[in-house]
Amino acid sequence: MESAIKFAFSNSKYIILAITIFTSMFIGLLILSEYIFLEPYVVSHIPSGTELGFVLIVIISALSALVLPMNIFRIIMLQKSKQKMGGSILGSIIGAAAGACSCGPIGFAVISTFGSVGATATAFLTNYEIPIRIVAIGILTFTYFTTLKSLKIECKLNS
Amino acid sequence: MNKKVLILGVIVIAIIAGLAASFSVSTSEIVNLDMGRTHGTISTAMGSPILGDPSAPITIVEFGDYQCHQCFNWFHNTKPELTRDYIETGKVNLVFVDLAFLGSDSPKAAQASYCAEDQEMYWDYHDLLYTSQESTIDGGWADSERLKAFAFSLGLDMELFESCLDSGKYSKRVQYNIQQAREHGVRGTPGFFIVGPDGQQQQLGGAQPFSVFKQILDPIV
Repeated sequence: MESAIKFAFSNSKYIILAITIFTSMFIGLLILSEYIFLEPYVVSHIPSGTELGFVLIVIISALSALVLPMNIFRIIMLQKSKQKMGGSILGSIIGAAAGACSCGPIGFAVISTFGSVGATATAFLTNYEIPIRIVAIGILTFTYFTTLKSLKIECKLNS
Repeated sequence: MNKKVLILGVIVIAIIAGLAASFSVSTSEIVNLDMGRTHGTISTAMGSPILGDPSAPITIVEFGDYQCHQCFNWFHNTKPELTRDYIETGKVNLVFVDLAFLGSDSPKAAQASYCAEDQEMYWDYHDLLYTSQESTIDGGWADSERLKAFAFSLGLDMELFESCLDSGKYSKRVQYNIQQAREHGVRGTPGFFIVGPDGQQQQLGGAQPFSVFKQILDPIV
């Protein structure tokens, strides 16, 4: 398992890609979920009662940063199918969307633009924010293990 | 002589009682009757009663939704410190204006708060809604029956409250407040305007921590 990860990240480009994905997802989700504010001052805080949401953001960002570069590596270096890439992108998008709506500017824009349909979608994403993020983590974890397995087979690595 | 002392004593007691009564009125909730009330460029005429000293030099106008969980976070994490350090000390007062947009129960909850205001219990009802908020939007925690149950738990006159809520008496008031929010570019809840003594105002978006309010308020208090 370790050798498959080492093999995928042997090229520094993929390490940089992983760091970029983690940083942008992590900071983006923290801003959307109001753990970080940029105006009028740059501040971060974790309000009491929101600790679980914060931990789930860390996990989703970390898994996305791990799984996406591994799949890109498979596609570019090994010329393999893009099927598993879909799982990692889906997991990342679901994880991000769960916190994006709510009472913040995105939720407000969605409701203002799409009316009752937007309100229903926003309510769903808000009401089930934690379960949706857990599902996203499940998808990313599943994709991670299947990708590892594929890399071991495709590259004929010994665990 | 004794009669004169007795009369004088009665007058003194009456004056003291009068002063005590007027003091108790000034510290209780004051229903907003000023239809031209503004803070900065915002018309708060249809908003909540003022929380705190009405003559405080700074006003915080909060735009919020009773179903918004970030408003819940702000209410529980930032507002207590703000109340202790600025509102109770007379430096700042606060007005709540509804931006009830999240679900069909949001405008109804806002209307219910004004029905409670009719009985001078606006802030008690407001606080109870944010204390009782559940995580689901339109999940039933703020439907008409629960709103009435909240009123009952506060000991409000239920006949008055129910007729007010069922008739939609404050429907237009809530719509007016939502319009105020839109006109001032509020794009989510909670949203704040801090209006200083000379009318200058600063907009804040989101459930910002107490440290941010402190940094803005301290230089202008």
